[in-house]
Amino acid sequence: MINAVINRFIKTGERARQFFIFVGEITSLFVETIKCSFSRPFYFSRLMEQINHIGYGSTSITVVIGLTMGLVMTLNFGYGLAKFGGTLYVPAVVSLSLAREMAPLFTSLLVAGRVGSGIAAEIGAMNVTQQVDAIRALGTSPVRVLVIPRFWALVISLPLLSALSFAVGILGGMLVCRMEFDIVPGFYLYKVFSTVKFHDYMSGLVKSSIFAGIITIFACYKGLNTKDGTKGVGVTTTWVVVTASILILITDFFISKIFLVIW
Amino acid sequence: MMMDKEVLLEVKNIHKAFGKNKVHQGVSFTLHKGESLGLLGGSGTGKSVLLRSIIGLERIDQGQIIFKGERIDQLPENKLTPYRIRISYSFQSGALFDSINVFENIAYPLFEHTKFSYAQIKDKVCEMLKLIDLQGKEDLMPSDLSGGMQKRVGMARAMILNPEIVLYDEPTAGLDPSNTLNVVSLMQKLKEKGLASIFVTHDIPSAIMLCDRIIVLHEGKIIFNDTPHNFQNSEDPIVRKFILSSKDEL
Repeated sequence: MINAVINRFIKTGERARQFFIFVGEITSLFVETIKCSFSRPFYFSRLMEQINHIGYGSTSITVVIGLTMGLVMTLNFGYGLAKFGGTLYVPAVVSLSLAREMAPLFTSLLVAGRVGSGIAAEIGAMNVTQQVDAIRALGTSPVRVLVIPRFWALVISLPLLSALSFAVGILGGMLVCRMEFDIVPGFYLYKVFSTVKFHDYMSGLVKSSIFAGIITIFACYKGLNTKDGTKGVGVTTTWVVVTASILILITDFFISKIFLVIW
Repeated sequence: MMMDKEVLLEVKNIHKAFGKNKVHQGVSFTLHKGESLGLLGGSGTGKSVLLRSIIGLERIDQGQIIFKGERIDQLPENKLTPYRIRISYSFQSGALFDSINVFENIAYPLFEHTKFSYAQIKDKVCEMLKLIDLQGKEDLMPSDLSGGMQKRVGMARAMILNPEIVLYDEPTAGLDPSNTLNVVSLMQKLKEKGLASIFVTHDIPSAIMLCDRIIVLHEGKIIFNDTPHNFQNSEDPIVRKFILSSKDEL
């Protein structure tokens, strides 16, 4: 009985130790990424390549999610508010939700799936085939060569993708308002631009940048620590998508709370 | 005769363990300028770990690794760069970057560590491709190359910055006799240029042909450190068993 309790205690202690090591290593990778970003050598061509791959490559999926969000939200809010005679509030509600919450959140979740898994799989595969070791053995840093270009590419791209998602969502909402609720585009746009203020846009953009950081740091960390061959790559990919998505959702609540207080 | 030459690398009493598995238990040896050292031993005796430790890819638990009088085993990752240029590592698998072609793979260290123009880099890569007998293959991707070709490209990449020591990790493993001959003759050419090397292998004939000295690792310790001639005539039962088992494999 006592032994069982002691064993349980030891196991819990070991898990706690592993957790703190993990937090420490993630933090260390983040700090190193920021530190190395401002010292030579810079890899602009790799950054551009990643922006093209990660950012431009995600535009079509962003347009689809933005349009769907705009259409569905407008339809649901429209019919919901119509019961209380509040149809005219639909543009304001939809645009505010899209700018502050839905566009950055859903775009980030989608990008976490598409880009996070891609980064983790690519770096993980490089790790198990000793390519990461080769980068180190050739006197270069995996953080500079692999992490920094991906980190900044997503930190730059994700807010832009969120903005695109917002814009397309607004267009989708306009379409539904015109066709279902007889709200003319002029009035719709007037309400959108008079409701959504600068800080609402900023809230969405800053959130997207933070989500981008979470996605890349976790994906790169897990990729650089992938073991056990191709099986390990599969495990890494799944872990990154699940963990990044959960963290995005949790972080979203706290950032929203902070922004509501300061703005 | 080698003893008169400058000592490039000293490995002093190193210990390394992975959990309870003690891989090295007091390994010591020196490498002189222009010397080729064969590192033999059964599978899992820590030959590759030793090479990885020398270049800092693995951290040793105890002991010292000294390159030209400077202790390098305690240096942080970012301070190891100058040593990784002077001590290069040729991976067992080649470890080529699979998203870039042969030219870009070989040129990678030049782009990273030199200020050569593109034309100069191109010339150097062409020269290296000629040396490894792969002229005209610069546009191929690593996946288009055979195992032997990949190893040779990996060796060329390790060699392009003119290092002082090359660490070969089983360069002939898994190759057919013809490819083995290609790789061994490439190593011979590099040796003739005065390059010091440590050659980890199970391929005893190649080690005897190429090396000035042979070291045998067994249970984390060096049990033999002498010339290839004395290695072949060794009376040590473990060395004899190792030689005989390798003959059986052949």
